[in-house]
Amino acid sequence: MSKRTGVFVCHCGKNIAATVDVKKVARELAKDDGVVFCEDYVYMCSDPGQGAVIDAIKENDLDGMVISCCSPTLHEKTFRDASELGGLSGFRCEIANIREQCSWVHKDPDEATDKAIKISRAAVRRVQRNEPLDPIGVPVTRRALVVGGGIAGIQTALDLADAGLDVILVEKQSTIGGNMLKLSETFPTLDCSQCILSPKMVAVSKNPRIRLLTESEVESVSGFVGNFRVRIKKKAQYVDPELCKLCDDCSQVCPVAVPNEYDEGLTNRRAIFIPFAQAIPASFTLDEAACLGLKPVVCGKCEEVCEAGAIDFDKRPTVFEEEVGAIVVATGYDLYGMDKLGEYGAGRYADVLDGLQFERLCSASGATEGHILRPSDHKVPKEIVFIQCSGSRDPENHCAWCSKICCMYTAKHATLYKHHVPDGQAYVFYIDIRSGGKGYEEFVQRSMEKDGVIYLRGRVSRVYEQGGKLRVLGVDTLSGRNVEIAADMVVLAQAMEPSKGTAEIAKTLKIGLGKDGFLAEAHPKLKPVESVTAGIYLAGAAQGPKDIPETVAQASAAASKVIALLSKEELHHSPTVAKVRDPYCTGCAMCVDACPYEAIGLVGGKAAVNEVLCQGCGSCVGVCVRAAIDVKNVSQLQIHEMISAVLAA
Amino acid sequence: MVNVDALRGYAADLLEKGQVRAVIGYRRGTAGVLAQPCTIDEAGEAETLVWDPTCLNNLARYLVEDRQQQAAAQTRNKTPDGRPVAIVAKGCDSRAVAVLLQENYLKREDVVIIGVSCEGSGVIDPRKLAARPEGRWASRVDFAGADAFKVTVGGDETLIPARDLLADRCLECRAAAPALNDVLFGEVVTERGLDEPFRAVKAAQGATEDARWATWEHHFDRCLRCFACRAVCPMCYCPECVVDSTTFVNTPGTTAEEKATRIRWCERSASVSESALYHLTRAIHLAGRCIDCGECERVCPVNIPLRLLNTKLEMEAFEQFQYEAGRDFGQASLLSSFRDEDPNSFIR
Repeated sequence: MSKRTGVFVCHCGKNIAATVDVKKVARELAKDDGVVFCEDYVYMCSDPGQGAVIDAIKENDLDGMVISCCSPTLHEKTFRDASELGGLSGFRCEIANIREQCSWVHKDPDEATDKAIKISRAAVRRVQRNEPLDPIGVPVTRRALVVGGGIAGIQTALDLADAGLDVILVEKQSTIGGNMLKLSETFPTLDCSQCILSPKMVAVSKNPRIRLLTESEVESVSGFVGNFRVRIKKKAQYVDPELCKLCDDCSQVCPVAVPNEYDEGLTNRRAIFIPFAQAIPASFTLDEAACLGLKPVVCGKCEEVCEAGAIDFDKRPTVFEEEVGAIVVATGYDLYGMDKLGEYGAGRYADVLDGLQFERLCSASGATEGHILRPSDHKVPKEIVFIQCSGSRDPENHCAWCSKICCMYTAKHATLYKHHVPDGQAYVFYIDIRSGGKGYEEFVQRSMEKDGVIYLRGRVSRVYEQGGKLRVLGVDTLSGRNVEIAADMVVLAQAMEPSKGTAEIAKTLKIGLGKDGFLAEAHPKLKPVESVTAGIYLAGAAQGPKDIPETVAQASAAASKVIALLSKEELHHSPTVAKVRDPYCTGCAMCVDACPYEAIGLVGGKAAVNEVLCQGCGSCVGVCVRAAIDVKNVSQLQIHEMISAVLAA
Repeated sequence: MVNVDALRGYAADLLEKGQVRAVIGYRRGTAGVLAQPCTIDEAGEAETLVWDPTCLNNLARYLVEDRQQQAAAQTRNKTPDGRPVAIVAKGCDSRAVAVLLQENYLKREDVVIIGVSCEGSGVIDPRKLAARPEGRWASRVDFAGADAFKVTVGGDETLIPARDLLADRCLECRAAAPALNDVLFGEVVTERGLDEPFRAVKAAQGATEDARWATWEHHFDRCLRCFACRAVCPMCYCPECVVDSTTFVNTPGTTAEEKATRIRWCERSASVSESALYHLTRAIHLAGRCIDCGECERVCPVNIPLRLLNTKLEMEAFEQFQYEAGRDFGQASLLSSFRDEDPNSFIR
């Protein structure tokens, strides 16, 4: 038990001192049992403030210390470090929060001062029973998992591999590349998307440090920062990518035709197919759901014609466990469902397309080989309407958020249209043009001025078909007139939403989701790539709408966070973990159920804590009716002492 | 009807074949009309077992005592007899066993549950019987269908409506037959025309806050702190009761420092504040665990209506989370589990 406690009361300029009589707090605390040093200072966190702490520890031979200041989330580390510099274990230093929990929320100076005294006194009683704990050292697995093989996941994996780390890249689909692989050209420079992406995809496939697992999903994750155990399920791989020679004989004989999801349903594909010519792994793939041949083999034509012998219907899914030290989640986005925008004729009329479908029309690898043709009759559309904020910025009916990229890609679509159909006319309905970014505004202006795209500020109320034309009813709020356009094609700039399965992966990884369903960052400003769980990072549009440059930047940022984490020999884990008091434990296992970190198990009929997994949250203490489990340095005795101090007259 | 001879035969058979160490059941009492708990370990003794509406006790408590004795034997390096114990269990008793199983206090293979049906009725409240003129001299009470008891006084037999004699908790009982059993004697009666569940606590809630506080202050003031409620409760098996400093656990490893710094959350003195703390803590520690056997209230020497405290929490558990203690020993416990469909979103 600590017998020589020092107390430091911070003014925090006027933040605390304006409401709390800090001098009185210091005077009163000095009278407490075991308090041998007590001082107030204008800014404890300043260099002189910390210096005073270090000096006081040495001069007064302190064995415990309380800083009455702001929240421990801010300066606990500062003062624990100072404490160590003074030769006192950091775990003998506690913070009494007299700012957020006192001066900021009270007006009456007398009552606030009284409360500040009680809060400080409780901290003194607590710290007097603090143990001088040593941090728990945990070895680090120097390998990372990247979930999602779009541009974000690819960039992260390449950066990590470049730093000498082994990377497991897990992708749900049969090729990496994600949505970017479907794009035609990219704003603002109009370079071909596949041309800039495919070198990176090839780099992934050639990098010996990257283990690429396509058609795979993360099933479960256990463990903690530096030491995760991940269960990965890989779907049955009926076509061996090592053997496949890409001869295309198999798809020639396949009798099945289903809509091609890689072409946004504009074309059909076979049950055995290759998503893109640039697919990585470079191999045909067999769609289990569409194939006729699996169990029992009723077709098997592809197997017969495959000279390489790459097809094997007897393959089964495999589940395996991997150990990694860090995880980057880059699960990307989906476009907001077309079925939800019936007022724009989406899903009803073949010539009402979403942004990605239009990308496929413009793309040389798409169904029309880059010619913009109406899906309904393959004619060149002469009048085309783009509707921005389709599903975005509409909190009543659709998504509340701005999807950020639509202004730019609509300008790009209109420009590309004009390049393909010079005698056509493009119209854009918009609410605002948000073109913040290097070269972005110039790009939009060029589409208006050089390509003659007509921008109409207003919303569209309805789209309906009449006489082979799509009639678009809207309003131009700048001229105050209703507008009616007889269009050949309508393109909806659909909102961006988290990809399907984002909620599940968040649950699997125990990371938070924001209100909008995007993955939550640990701090909106200061920790934009960290998830709320240590050791798990976020990259790309899974965290919020973003364009390619921003995605790449965040992917590299996530990679650098992982590199910093895994460059340590061992990680230090807080020793304020749960501890079972054996004689009291009856093995009811309520704590086992309550522990969110799976840190407690039953050993010999008693609860046993894995100190490395334990985060010291105290959920177990809350459910134990027998008071048989304690968190170190927040023991029940300490809580009792603190309550006694607060309730004492 | 429960065939008592068949029950005796079953118990005798278990003992004869050595399948169980002992059978915990009821036998004829030596004072008054009530049956009393008994433990038999020879087949011949099975003849003494009885089953009638005076079998009030929740025998699950004796499983707790048994485990404690087994554990004590182990510390004295005696090899414990590993065979299970059989227990005669009513609906409520079997739910108590289920909670003990759920909390890993017992293993399923350590107990043989001889279920007995309450015939759609229940057990009597001896106070209600004694309050009747004929009740004071009754020598026997038997089931007479779901709606009446047959009370024998001297040579005369009278039928008394079940509602007049039934214990309060039996009036509110939702499952008068043991769902968890190895063998069941008697019929499972699901339709019961008695009180609705939680009737008493709902009625008590109707009073104003001031009136309720006055009532409970009165009750807590009368509490003797005899701890009979705790001693009879099958769920009160903690080695150390957090609200009682007299049960502090001392082991050879307990240091002087530990002894000196033991927390006395609640003082022993029988004052209103300390007694309120004791009873409320006990009620909270029984939330999601109390199966409403009513034993605490029955044994209270000063008639504190303790069931109201416990059933209040069980009612909340049932209405908020559809949770019933003892319904299934595989279910996750109320206080330590979280379901995705939890109505409170803040917890996610």
